[in-house]
Amino acid sequence: MQFDSLLGKRIVLITGKGGVGRSSVTAAIAQAAARAGKRVLVTEMADGAGQSKHSEYDDEPHNAAIHEYSPLARLFGRERLPERKEELMPGISGSLLLPLYGHELFLTSVFRVAAIAKAALHSEALRRLFQAAPSLREIGIFYCLLTFLQAKHADGGFENELILVDMPATGHALALTGLPRTLINMVARGPIADALREGQAYLTDPAQSATYVVTLPEALPVSETLELLEGLKSSNMPIGGVILNHVPRDPFTAEERREVAGMLDAAHAKEKGVLGEQSFRYFDEAKRETERLEREIKVPLLRLPDAPPGCGSLVSFLADSLLGGSP
Amino acid sequence: MTKGLDQAVDAGDAEKLRAIVREARIVVCCGAGGVGKTTTSGALALAAASLGRKVLVLTIDPSKRLAETLGVSRNPPKPVPVELERLGLAGRGASAGSLDAWMLDPKLIADEAVRRIVRNPTEVEKLLQNRIYQSVTTMVAGMHEYTAMQALHRFVEENRYDLVVLDTPPSRHALDFLEAPGRLSRFLDGRVFRMFMPSEQGSSAFGGLKRAAGGLVHRVLNGVLGPEFSSDLTVFFGVFAGVLGTISRDVTGMREFLSRPEVSFLLISSPAAAALEEALFFQDKTRELKLPFRGFLLNRSHAADAERAFPDAAGLSPSGGELSPAARSGLEKLGRLAAAERELITRDQKLLGDLKRRAGEGGFAVALPTLSFAPAADGGRDELAALGMLAKRILGTAH
Repeated sequence: MQFDSLLGKRIVLITGKGGVGRSSVTAAIAQAAARAGKRVLVTEMADGAGQSKHSEYDDEPHNAAIHEYSPLARLFGRERLPERKEELMPGISGSLLLPLYGHELFLTSVFRVAAIAKAALHSEALRRLFQAAPSLREIGIFYCLLTFLQAKHADGGFENELILVDMPATGHALALTGLPRTLINMVARGPIADALREGQAYLTDPAQSATYVVTLPEALPVSETLELLEGLKSSNMPIGGVILNHVPRDPFTAEERREVAGMLDAAHAKEKGVLGEQSFRYFDEAKRETERLEREIKVPLLRLPDAPPGCGSLVSFLADSLLGGSP
Repeated sequence: MTKGLDQAVDAGDAEKLRAIVREARIVVCCGAGGVGKTTTSGALALAAASLGRKVLVLTIDPSKRLAETLGVSRNPPKPVPVELERLGLAGRGASAGSLDAWMLDPKLIADEAVRRIVRNPTEVEKLLQNRIYQSVTTMVAGMHEYTAMQALHRFVEENRYDLVVLDTPPSRHALDFLEAPGRLSRFLDGRVFRMFMPSEQGSSAFGGLKRAAGGLVHRVLNGVLGPEFSSDLTVFFGVFAGVLGTISRDVTGMREFLSRPEVSFLLISSPAAAALEEALFFQDKTRELKLPFRGFLLNRSHAADAERAFPDAAGLSPSGGELSPAARSGLEKLGRLAAAERELITRDQKLLGDLKRRAGEGGFAVALPTLSFAPAADGGRDELAALGMLAKRILGTAH
């Protein structure tokens, strides 16, 4: 089954344009995987400014703290994901990918002593450099991710069996997937270069990693998904599949559909629109776009049905659908 | 009867939007990803061109959609004219408007800026070949936005267009670079640069301290990131410092330029809660930065469908007269969909009212419908025609 293939991975990146329900799908995958017995870690990148607004390292005055929240964290009843790994619910932990935490981690691994790493990061000069210098932020995020991937329990099992990354809504998703290569190109030698190579080996190994694109059965999202898949190909990232969210259930039989379409066409002469027509036509579009997607993509397609009204928790509903296979 | 925006909203609000299309020199569209920002920018630009204005629409959307819709290829070196004739939107003779579209390539613009600012050709080459510079235009937050605004600035200064519409990147940080303590300016912070300036060898009283700090930095960089990265960083900071100094002055000028009355900031949203939250965030941001916020555009809104009738009231009936069982059950189901849509209309009208209140005195909130695509001749969708329809709705001339 398609979801089993996802469950077998160590790291899954979930991407897709704004408005397609990416965060709900991420939360649903986490819930489904936890129910299947996995220790799951959900992550997302810290806000674009480099760290969350209340980071212990962050002494800059902020005036943009209003409305600051994460849609993913809200699905777990929080405003933001925690800065250090914390359990969000049984079987599911969460953590931001904080550049500066990553810097601390890699300095610790190089200097061997956490206190020295902390002291180094509290040096004004170095801290400013790390915040400002290009690509150091990305290196930090990447190192955070790598640390989570490698962390082991005393019994030798992975601390985070499945890591989910809710990727940013914009074209930056592509930037991150192409990142290891860019960074390795820049940082050719040294301990970080080795770590980056190790991270890249994880991310490009189809047995361990997969990227899933969330989309809707609508014209523009499908076009954008095809474009994104094209871009991902060049990044060497294994593509797990496309998750088609909000697939509507068409209540009309073929005969009913024909009759209603005929009546609507006849009514069109009267120029005013008819209520219900947009939804009626949407079933056609959804069907057409689903077929287009099936035709064009060469990766598995997972369908998540539209939640019926009053079904309670959307995330649980989606998790049920994932575990139940493609409805 | 026209089927413009007037029925959907307060006619005054639709007129305020039309006034912007007629008179504004610069329109900046902000909003979350996925709300139809690019489409709206395109439609506003089309609407203005159809009124006889010379219009440029600028986008740095990483998606090539707008460019394709408008029939121009990706990242052309300069703006490309859009064919208006087949939309029936073009004026004639002296009153003919025009529409150019340009998808910015931030790298291209940054390179151009480097060549303009750094006069010494050897230095230019050194910087353009620098691996850190090569990644900076795609990685430093605010760089995209800055390059877009710079291009905007240039086009307005050159006076080649009556109106420039800017589609900002789908990020809540789209305006961050205009702020003093933003990341770009932190990047500009001289203290970081000085550590890398080879000429500065501690002549001041703090020289020793600086050297010590610099020593730590170099030790960390060499030991952790490798000597190549470290030397790249030194070259980068050395040459780029001058460029950033100019950028920094530019940003100050740009903020002044963007707060002029002929500029209009429009905030685009969909009815989705997250998108609305972003729109309100941007409104606060424009206030904070004293930028001329004009109004909200509520995209994909059912509020624009308020004039639609229920199927039975619309007199829906089969052409043959008698209702077959399938027609009857089909109509029943359509009735249920209609009731659900009616609820959405009520929801979106309320939303529009809330936004209108938020927009305050002089501000507006206008609802725009979901785009409907007619099949194109080649079997695809006619996206340009859909944009044209939206433009006509904005102008209140749709039939």
